[in-house]
Amino acid sequence: MRPAATIRAAWNGLTGRPLQAIIIGLVALASTAASALALGMAVEANAPFDHAFARDHGAQVAITVDTARATAARLAATTQLHGVTATAGPFPLTEVSARITLAGASGALQQQVVLTGRAKPGGPVDDLALDAGRWATTTGQVVWARTRTSLPVTVGQTVTVTSAPGSPRLTVVGIATSVTGTAQAWVVPAEITALRGPGVAQMLYRFASAATSTEIADDVSSVRRALPPGSLIGTPQSYLAVRQQASASVAPFTPFIVAFGVIALVMSVMIVVNVVSGAVVAGTRRIGVLKSIGFTPAAVVAAYVLQVALPAAAGCAAGAVLGDILSVPLLSLSASVYGVGVLLMPLWVVVTVPLAMLALTCAAALAPALRAGRMSTVRAIATARAPRAAHGYAAYRLIGRLPGAPRALAIGLAAPFARPARTLLTLAAILFGAIAVTFGVGLGTSASRAATDLSGSATQPVQVSPSAGALTPAQDHAIVTALNRQPGLLHYTAETDDQLAVPGLADPISVTAYPGPARWTGWAMIAGAWYRGADQADVNTFFLTATGTRVGDTYTLTAGRRQVTVRIVGEVFDTQGHAGDVFMSSATLSVLDRGLGVDQYDVDLRPGTNPQSYANALSARLGPRLDVTTTTNGPVFASVLVLDFVLTVLLIAVAALGVLNTSVLQIRERAHDLGVFKAIGMTPRQTLAMVVSSAAAIGVIAGLIAIPAGVTLHRFLVPVMGHAGGTNVPATLLSVYSPGELALLALAGLLIAAGGALGPAAWTARTRTATALRAE
Amino acid sequence: MNPLVQLDHVTKKYGSFNAATAVADVTIAVAEGEAVAIMGPSGSGKSTLLNLIAGLDRPTSGTVRVAGQRIETLGETGAARFRRRHIGMIFQFFNLLEDMTVADNVLLPAQLGGQPRAQARARAGELLDRLQIGQYADAYPARLSGGERQRVAIARALVNQPPLLLADEPTGALDTANGEAIGRLLLELNSAGQTLVLVTHNPDLAERYAHRVIQIVDGRLAGDCPAGMAGARCSGARA
Repeated sequence: MRPAATIRAAWNGLTGRPLQAIIIGLVALASTAASALALGMAVEANAPFDHAFARDHGAQVAITVDTARATAARLAATTQLHGVTATAGPFPLTEVSARITLAGASGALQQQVVLTGRAKPGGPVDDLALDAGRWATTTGQVVWARTRTSLPVTVGQTVTVTSAPGSPRLTVVGIATSVTGTAQAWVVPAEITALRGPGVAQMLYRFASAATSTEIADDVSSVRRALPPGSLIGTPQSYLAVRQQASASVAPFTPFIVAFGVIALVMSVMIVVNVVSGAVVAGTRRIGVLKSIGFTPAAVVAAYVLQVALPAAAGCAAGAVLGDILSVPLLSLSASVYGVGVLLMPLWVVVTVPLAMLALTCAAALAPALRAGRMSTVRAIATARAPRAAHGYAAYRLIGRLPGAPRALAIGLAAPFARPARTLLTLAAILFGAIAVTFGVGLGTSASRAATDLSGSATQPVQVSPSAGALTPAQDHAIVTALNRQPGLLHYTAETDDQLAVPGLADPISVTAYPGPARWTGWAMIAGAWYRGADQADVNTFFLTATGTRVGDTYTLTAGRRQVTVRIVGEVFDTQGHAGDVFMSSATLSVLDRGLGVDQYDVDLRPGTNPQSYANALSARLGPRLDVTTTTNGPVFASVLVLDFVLTVLLIAVAALGVLNTSVLQIRERAHDLGVFKAIGMTPRQTLAMVVSSAAAIGVIAGLIAIPAGVTLHRFLVPVMGHAGGTNVPATLLSVYSPGELALLALAGLLIAAGGALGPAAWTARTRTATALRAE
Repeated sequence: MNPLVQLDHVTKKYGSFNAATAVADVTIAVAEGEAVAIMGPSGSGKSTLLNLIAGLDRPTSGTVRVAGQRIETLGETGAARFRRRHIGMIFQFFNLLEDMTVADNVLLPAQLGGQPRAQARARAGELLDRLQIGQYADAYPARLSGGERQRVAIARALVNQPPLLLADEPTGALDTANGEAIGRLLLELNSAGQTLVLVTHNPDLAERYAHRVIQIVDGRLAGDCPAGMAGARCSGARA
């Protein structure tokens, strides 16, 4: 058999049934787009960090040691340990209180800063990238680190070390980046001596095996064993934690995109099997004719697989492009965090996913195509259609006897029983579509609540802060007076923010302190309770993870030589800055950092008060030196909502296409019967009701199953998304479905089914009776 | 007597470019209670003519009036409702719905018309008994012989008591004995007042069971004569 004949037969089969080709193409498109997006995001979430880490020979582990115990000789010995491939250090370091004046701002910021002594930026480990200026060559100079949370310090500014005798001034001579954030600032080693550092040093390591947290833990253990007991200070810093933080902005997207991708894949396989099975059933005479003129069974199989492969190839190619386009806004988020310019979906993903999808589609087509190949030529020509299914007769009788059920509706409701396998495939396609809707709606609510919880837009819709620096006592008084006079006020509280360096952590932790009761500020609790006394504090998940603590533990916070031990009484949902955050009373914070002023006022309004109007009126009272802002939800959650919406719509479309396909197949098979129905008096409206009800019956069942399945998927994936972003999630993000909403969502299956069946049903209703009667 | 069916200058063409003419300028009338056979060779347009009378298809030009209603002006819904009340149809290959029982097949037009179930059931039972197939009420059509199936089709056509019964080659798929039986049944129905238009290419059937024979050749009216005068003796078209 010449291939040209097979190709021509496939092409004629394809052009003879354009709707079938369009359905295959669209299903392949949507599935490829969702899958490419899922894989691309999963792969690229860590790409910016990985590229920079490889280029800069980033430190896999950074440890802080007490040099009184870990002598230079003992530290040198660790460089020879089995598995250690490269080291840098020891670099002396000290934590200081520094006053920093930012360009263009009045007043100065007070901050704890860890200074690390390094003679040069390069080295076998943690090769620093000098972004601006030059490296420090003598005392009195500092190179500021650029991190995701660092202050916008520029070359030429001065930093006053207020915790050192004589408050020495350091001039910023350069800006550098450490890929794992090993320091907040670097000075020459002599500066640490001049600042009377406490005898603490940093060692940086690379190991032969450091791909997992277990391997890292083993590596750290070997170093710890090689040093005198108690040498290590704080928590060793793993590059995996930094990597996880780096991808935290994009990582939460990955689980749900992957889930959507998997759903799309399963749906597309089912729909393809349904489409090809239907094509074989509907094209029985054609198969018989092809075989009678010399087509071998293999050529028939090839022709039918090709009939699927051609539109699927077009759909897969278009799907890869669509997936690439959808990935742009998400990857740009990741790229902007690391400043690596434009990030594109990897080429191998763009190539592999559509090819894999095409292979999967062809594989799905193979089984029904083989059935076509095995079909008896004589029987195929004689019967002109596949043997009529003998199922469902009882269903017709039973449903036909339902009291009050219009006959056309009853016939439609019984139709799915005629071909149970097809009905099951259609049910599965609608089910997955309805699950996507249930999950998508839940995710949308969770994302909205997360955005509201994190921004405080619901509970502290207005904030008042100075244009620069901390509030002066006069401004403080003015704000309180204005707030009390402005109608619409419900609550207000002063808020003091501080940053504390924690040995072993790349970024300083944030501290948020309130002078009085501030539970109303609305921070969502993941576990435990809001703090009540001076010895209590709440922390976010990042803090617990980074410090290895749990709710109920005590933790000692230090600031220079001052320290305070607090009991962690609650875990707060707070991902801002993807860094540790501690909430406590102002009294507790004052033990660590005296003389801190109020940074801002958080204001809650009475119900019905417009935040923007309130803010405008308050701003008019307070004048230009005080900023009155309204809080809004962050752009990341807007992206989640948009992507959630797009993917849900995509899967609804795929499911509806599956239903459309089933309806077309049913109509094609029952074309003659439909003609008879019409000839004996079935009106177009009754025809429409009959065709739609046959799909709707499946849709109702799918919708009812989809509710528990979608809710379960939501309850599973939202915490996974949270963990991917480095945080646990509060119960309020999981309990998002109201009974009314669930009742509405139960209709999703029905709507998908009715939507998919409506087109073919309307076409059937419009078809002239004589035309239908002539159909085979 | 008022005609129950009146076709005036009816033409039916298929396709828009190089359209094939299936029926060309046909004018005929069928009176109430009449039994008319439409005869002609294969492809002559007789089935198309029947479809036009039934409102299953629309003429390209001309008017089709049944029971005083211009049915070519009706939409699909209107035509379906009109068929329910005024027209019963039987086909050569029975066109029974294989997944429904005999009783359900017969009941269907009544149920589509919204007739109360009990009333429809009583009427169906009466018809099945009258047509001597009452014992098959709960059987599926696949179990029945050709003659029995055609009886079911006739019962279905009569369930709504339509004034006009259209039959397209009603004995075409039956053996001689069954064909005879169905022919006699149609004659009995007509004798009871049922207007009957049947399409056949069997001259014997036409002569024996119709009052009038209309000849159609190449879509045109070639003859319209009383039953005894069909064939060579009848050549004139009658309006």
